[in-house]
Amino acid sequence: MSGLNSPTPLRQRRGPASRSPDYSVVSQDDDQVEFTSPRNRSAAERILETDKANIAVVGILTVLAFALRFYKINHPDQVVFDEVHFGKFASYYITRQYYFDVHPPLAKMLFGLAGWFVGYDGHFLFDNIGDSYTENHVPYVGMRALPAFLSSMTVPIVYGIMKECGYSTIIAAFSASLVLFDSAHVAQGRLILLDAILIFFISMTMYCYVRFRKLRYQEFSSEWWGWLLGTGTFMACAWASKVNGILTVVAIGIPVLIDLWDILDIKKGHSMEYFTKHFMARAVGLIVLPVFLYLFFFWIHLTILTHTGPGDTFMSPAFQETLQGNELLLNSQEIHYFDSISIRHRDTRVFLHSHPERYPLRYDDGRVSSQGQQVTGYGHEDSNNHWQIIPTKALPETGRGRIVRENDVIQLLHVSTQTYLLTHDVASPLMATNEEFTTWPKDDYSRHNDTLFRLSLVDAEEGESWKSKSGHFKLIHVPTKVAMWTHPKQLPEWAFNQQEINGNKNINEKSNIWFVDNIVAEETGADVGNRLNIGNKKPKSRNFFKKFAELQLLMVQHNAGLTASHPYASSPINWPFLLSGISFWTDNTGQKQIYLIGNLIGWWTCVVAISTYVGIIGADLIARRRGVEPIHDSVRNRLWNSTGFFLIFWAVHYFPFYVMSRQLFIHHYLPSHLASALVAGSVLSFVLSETVNYPISIRGPSTHPKPSTYADVGMKGPIIVGVFVLAMFIMFCYISPLTYGTPGLDGDQVNARRLLSSWTLHFAAKPSSDV
Amino acid sequence: MSGGVRVRAGRAPSPPPLPHAAPQSARFPRPQHDHLDADARREAASKGYLPTRRGYAPGGLNITSAEWKLLILISLVAVFVRLYRISQPDSVVFDEVHFGKFASKYIKSQYFVDVHPPLAKLLITLSGFIFGYDGNFDFKDIGKVYEANVPYVAMRMVPALLGVATVPVAYLTLRALDCRATTALLASLFITFENGLVTQSRHILLDSPLVFFTALTVFFWTCFCNEDKHEPFTETWWAWLVFSGLSLGAVVSCKWVGLFTIATVGVSTLRQLWTLLGDLRVSPRLFMRHFMARAICLILVPMLFYMFIFWIHFIILQNPGDGDGFMSSEFQHTLNGRGMADTFADIGIGSKVTIRHVNTQGGYLHSHPSNYPSGSKQQQITLYPHRDTNNEWRVLNATRDGDPDHDWEGKPLAFIEHGMKIKLKHITTDKHLHSHDHRAPVSDVDFQNEVAGYGVPGYAGDANDDWVVEISEGDKRDRESSKRLRTLRTHFRLRHAMSGCYLFSHKVKLPEWGFEQQEVTCNKQAVKLNSLWFVETAEHPMLPADAPKVNYKLPGFFRKFLELQQVMWTTNAGLTDRHTFDSRPESWPRLRRGINFWVKDHRQIYLLGNPMVWWFSTASVFAYIVTRGFLVLRAQRGYRDFESTHVVKYDTLCGFLFVGWLLHYFPFYIMKRQLFLHHYFPALYFAILLSCGVFDLVTSTLKPRIRLQIAAVLLIVVIWNFVYLSPIAYGNSWTRKKCENAKWLKTWDLACNEFYDDTSLYNTLPATPQKSAAVPTAEQVVPPVQQEPVNAKNVPADEEKAAETSADFGQAEPGRNVFEGVLHEELKSKAENLPVKASEDAAAAQPTDLPPPPIEYADPEPKHEGKPAAEAAAGADAAAEKPAAPAAHKHSDDEDANPRVEEVLAQMSQVMAKVEAVLAEEKKQDDTGVDPVIPGTEPEKEGEGETPQRAQGAQQEEEAEADRVRGELFPDAHLD
Repeated sequence: MSGLNSPTPLRQRRGPASRSPDYSVVSQDDDQVEFTSPRNRSAAERILETDKANIAVVGILTVLAFALRFYKINHPDQVVFDEVHFGKFASYYITRQYYFDVHPPLAKMLFGLAGWFVGYDGHFLFDNIGDSYTENHVPYVGMRALPAFLSSMTVPIVYGIMKECGYSTIIAAFSASLVLFDSAHVAQGRLILLDAILIFFISMTMYCYVRFRKLRYQEFSSEWWGWLLGTGTFMACAWASKVNGILTVVAIGIPVLIDLWDILDIKKGHSMEYFTKHFMARAVGLIVLPVFLYLFFFWIHLTILTHTGPGDTFMSPAFQETLQGNELLLNSQEIHYFDSISIRHRDTRVFLHSHPERYPLRYDDGRVSSQGQQVTGYGHEDSNNHWQIIPTKALPETGRGRIVRENDVIQLLHVSTQTYLLTHDVASPLMATNEEFTTWPKDDYSRHNDTLFRLSLVDAEEGESWKSKSGHFKLIHVPTKVAMWTHPKQLPEWAFNQQEINGNKNINEKSNIWFVDNIVAEETGADVGNRLNIGNKKPKSRNFFKKFAELQLLMVQHNAGLTASHPYASSPINWPFLLSGISFWTDNTGQKQIYLIGNLIGWWTCVVAISTYVGIIGADLIARRRGVEPIHDSVRNRLWNSTGFFLIFWAVHYFPFYVMSRQLFIHHYLPSHLASALVAGSVLSFVLSETVNYPISIRGPSTHPKPSTYADVGMKGPIIVGVFVLAMFIMFCYISPLTYGTPGLDGDQVNARRLLSSWTLHFAAKPSSDV
Repeated sequence: MSGGVRVRAGRAPSPPPLPHAAPQSARFPRPQHDHLDADARREAASKGYLPTRRGYAPGGLNITSAEWKLLILISLVAVFVRLYRISQPDSVVFDEVHFGKFASKYIKSQYFVDVHPPLAKLLITLSGFIFGYDGNFDFKDIGKVYEANVPYVAMRMVPALLGVATVPVAYLTLRALDCRATTALLASLFITFENGLVTQSRHILLDSPLVFFTALTVFFWTCFCNEDKHEPFTETWWAWLVFSGLSLGAVVSCKWVGLFTIATVGVSTLRQLWTLLGDLRVSPRLFMRHFMARAICLILVPMLFYMFIFWIHFIILQNPGDGDGFMSSEFQHTLNGRGMADTFADIGIGSKVTIRHVNTQGGYLHSHPSNYPSGSKQQQITLYPHRDTNNEWRVLNATRDGDPDHDWEGKPLAFIEHGMKIKLKHITTDKHLHSHDHRAPVSDVDFQNEVAGYGVPGYAGDANDDWVVEISEGDKRDRESSKRLRTLRTHFRLRHAMSGCYLFSHKVKLPEWGFEQQEVTCNKQAVKLNSLWFVETAEHPMLPADAPKVNYKLPGFFRKFLELQQVMWTTNAGLTDRHTFDSRPESWPRLRRGINFWVKDHRQIYLLGNPMVWWFSTASVFAYIVTRGFLVLRAQRGYRDFESTHVVKYDTLCGFLFVGWLLHYFPFYIMKRQLFLHHYFPALYFAILLSCGVFDLVTSTLKPRIRLQIAAVLLIVVIWNFVYLSPIAYGNSWTRKKCENAKWLKTWDLACNEFYDDTSLYNTLPATPQKSAAVPTAEQVVPPVQQEPVNAKNVPADEEKAAETSADFGQAEPGRNVFEGVLHEELKSKAENLPVKASEDAAAAQPTDLPPPPIEYADPEPKHEGKPAAEAAAGADAAAEKPAAPAAHKHSDDEDANPRVEEVLAQMSQVMAKVEAVLAEEKKQDDTGVDPVIPGTEPEKEGEGETPQRAQGAQQEEEAEADRVRGELFPDAHLD
């Protein structure tokens, strides 16, 4: 077959329109023919492509990476930026106290592990930025070493990815040094922060996937399976390290789908069985395994955190009762009829309150009230918060029959004014759509019906008893079917700016939930202490999946709720251009500061590379549309498949932030920056030379032998990369006082390092003249 | 050399370079084939009756004369459906509150700002204007009855007629898309009987024009595409293209949602161009011609149209209005009466100046004789948006060495230069601008100090009164302005000499004690933009009358246009608070919930679609997605579906409509602003057309007769459904039971309790105006405890009251208009002109302490506004009439107080009106001897129980505590 000699056997299927192989060789640069033999490459290329040179380059890169990331890692010996959170969480793992956070647990558990390993006992709470570690005897260096180690390892992995994708050594070194000398990666990597760990896992995921993809002609071999499962594992780790790790799943998902789509193509000649087999393999490796691992990490998380801690209050009562020493567990008790209780709103934490003042007859907007007694939400303990539960059915003298249960219809008697809680079809003071709550004298039976409320416990079965603290409930008005509700808006002066309580017609709303804070007194007025059996109540057990589901849901909700503004938050459009950084830490005495900012040269290079790539691809598409093929097919395939893969990682880790409404910071761009470094490498390769290493996929039993071509970037490659790396290094050193937080800088030095006017550095000197 | 050039082999599944040939031939049958449907015609064509050039109908619209008659008939039906009882209800419905009001403002030519572009509002205004509307109705609340001289029917006619016009346009669009007449008929009737579109188009709302122009654009564009396939660059080709462009401009000038229509046409254009690009027979020159033609007509023309509409907008709105506050000071000076006289350019020691804040529209550096209630308790310094003598300051020298008072009257003029130390003296109160180590009143943070007015007349002031002028930038055209302070041209900062903080203001309002003016502080970490100031007016006795003067540089149309776009954009994005009837996009296709437009007189208007049409269209969309996905999978496995012209025809047709649906729907997911069901209407239009396309496909193999029968069955179901739900579309009488039955989904929150049990009751009902005058009976004034909210059933006379008190979904609520907030300030500024001073304070001080209603009842002569009655009322009235009212109040900041007066008056007069009505009706009711309230008695407040008082303070503490705890528990909220 003539296709054997063609560099692009694929072309054969195009039929008569495709050029003959000879023609294609002639039409290329004349050099192309020569370089099909590895010996014809330039001297520099030949030397660099040897194994020894390869090892030497990796070695140098790795050593440098360790050096830069571990340099003065003990400085500052103070809590920096989000170490406040993640250090604290590590402490909680060690003391086994339950906490709640929006991020999945893996990375934090690793910190806990590192802390435990270096002998930290978890006593320190990392309360404020600037708290001293040495004074508090925290072995923080051990904990910081973990991300520093992983961040250092990221550099050879980047190198490996490029190398495996078939780029020249020098190109791979270029990409690696973009990450190596990046101030942002360094600053982020040597502190107790999640991002370095996340980035390590992301790069490992990419590496495994590239290796997996290269084995596509040896499908279902054990190696193939190994890399597939490896991809799945690291993907799960990335996902379990930080919320944005979920993007990695998407980023891997897209190439996998494209891959499957190709296999499905009838022109490949595969059967449906074959396709199904491939599909199932990927489903196992990239869905089942990661999900299992993700669950497994949570299982560990929940197994470690068995004691009550700061996270309790976020969870449902059922969850809280699984924690040792939890308040609910200890103090929750069944409520009897005629008990006096105080009722609290779950979300806004106000007590159900009433006082003798009445609603004004006419509100400012002209509506009229019933002028009944005010019922409000009040945030403080007070005897006006006490309500007695009055039964509406006959009760036995003693025993279990006197316990209030799910679905019971009750009346609530306001103890100090001796009036019943009541609601009716009158608009509430602030919301015309909701019913007004008021009270009615105890001995006036004319409106008995309106004082009936049905107790609806959350997630309860029929006949379940009502408990203080843990028995979350809704109070449904029997005649009009509204739920007692409150919202943070305050009533005007006439109600002392207390919170409005009204009847919500939408009884399914989550904010309708209340709980009994305390049983104040029994029917007799006696203290309820004797009913308490405070002792070592055993934590209840709960199904892991229920716990997991609850936790996961809360994480999603809270993550979306993180919208408060932060002085250093920035919008995604600023990130690639490095318009602003984050001030991590400052020290007034030595005028020292850590400011998270990337290496300006490196980041702008990446931006240029990405736009170049998009330009090339666009031009190529249009040219092809007009029947012109400016780029040789093998180069084009590399551009589409390999660089395209990197670009997908970049885009998927970047663009979703535009639609997120939560607080965003520049360090969210770091995974994308890594991907853009890879893009930059391959674009440089394309610009320097029209040659590629081909084939790079490992031959399978049934693949035809293909003619090899070899990449050669010539002497200009090492020179350009050398100069560039030097420039990067100088830039890195120049802003290193901001990266390492030492040495301190005086005002003018700070000003000199403010390379962009939008960087908000501290200790800047006052501009001498501002005109 | 052609080495690199190579003709591509066939592009397998993509459509052939020139559009599918089949429809072309089918579109030009011989006359005798007119009665045939599309397929039959195609067949006929294939037998050799090929079309001639002459026989090509413009836009590929090959419509028989019988169809024109049909079209007229459909339009008549649509007219009936849309205009039936259009004058009902005769009161304001839903957002008529806003759009009616805007019409009033256009007519009165008062400047306003709205988040929507002006075209639809201009059309409504035009109609109102033609029918003699004078702009004097305020459209205040939903349910407010129209006065006799308000041609609200004419105004409603605009959206209604455009709604009617949508129907034939839909018919023609489908015909142009090469669907059968039956299909087109189905689509047009679906649209006719779509309850939601009917409801929306019967009121003064913008969505009906929007949908109409969207439909029109789609129609023009389809015709253009047909022409393009036939032969480009003919006259008709150009005509359709230009029409498309104009129509696009119209859509986007109605609402910004029109951008999605532009996107739809854009995607379609790109596809066309991409096909052309791949056609190697098209030379690059020709391609560029195609490209330029489209670029000009689809980008430039809409833009010009859009700008033209704004040009009209600016021409009409020449007078100041309540939208001023949103615009820059330059902009404001383009409005009539808002311009200011030229002012001296030079500022020296002793100049009388007004100082404006640059970044916020907060206004002038202002002070008035009221003190801060906290902190130093010294005189307030604020930003106040309107001109007033309280904005005037005197610049004094504060340089230590030398004479602190610097006799500016005697010595030659000394200009203010960079680094100079000055004092600013508030002229009317003789206080110095002062800052000291107290926290700012509202922004209670470490780095912001309070700024206060301090000193007594004659006192030279202390070091805390000293400010250093730091010139930030001057105007490039006035060189002097960067060296020394020049009016309007120099932006400068004022640094407090002692503490180094900068005079600063930001968008934080002071509470009531500060009359909701903007806070001014001294900020140690001031954002530069918020600490920049400029001098707006300056005068100095030493300056000769012919000294250089300056004025604002008035912005031209473009600058005004761009500024307004920016304001609209930021505000639109800021419309995020919740509305009772807002909804999220995912609930729209399943018609989860409607919008309560209006409830009154036991009737309701509730925006709800026709569930049959709605769900059928949604189902079609999903059917399309599934089928298309399935076909793509099949193609990948080598099936040759896409080679059948049948598949290709419907794929192109449905694909276009689907893209339209998608682009008009999905962008809403990423919008965080308040969204409503009616935002789905443009997408719904596409979905309905798509569903008819699917119908066309499914029935393509059937006999015409059977097809017609199926269509008839569908139509009957749809019409039945329309009639079934029509009472809430028209606001007709209904019964409670029927209403309950009509709640097919639990989430349709119709106000069923509003309706009577029996329709016959509607006839016995008194007419509306009387009813509104009907007044709570004496029962209402009965002292509290016994008083019991009355059930609506009890007494007829209680109806109004029941409506007023009852907590019900009955309360319709208009969509929010963010720009309304300024109304308040506007009132203040008007009040400026009132001659009254101190008296307003009386009213201002007791704004809420309206005398309780009983008093008015007791008032024997309610006609005299406030003559005897409660003193508070007297005070308020006096404010309007005579200057020397009681006024036991400290501050005399008239502008601030005035709005209160007006409010109070408004409230008073409302109450009075009611009282009059009562007395008119119930003359017998004698004076019940309720004593007038003693003036100035503050009811209750002092006497409150202790508990709550304590409670309040404690509550604050607790809140702070809670905040702290929350912060601790959930520190991640701060970062990351």
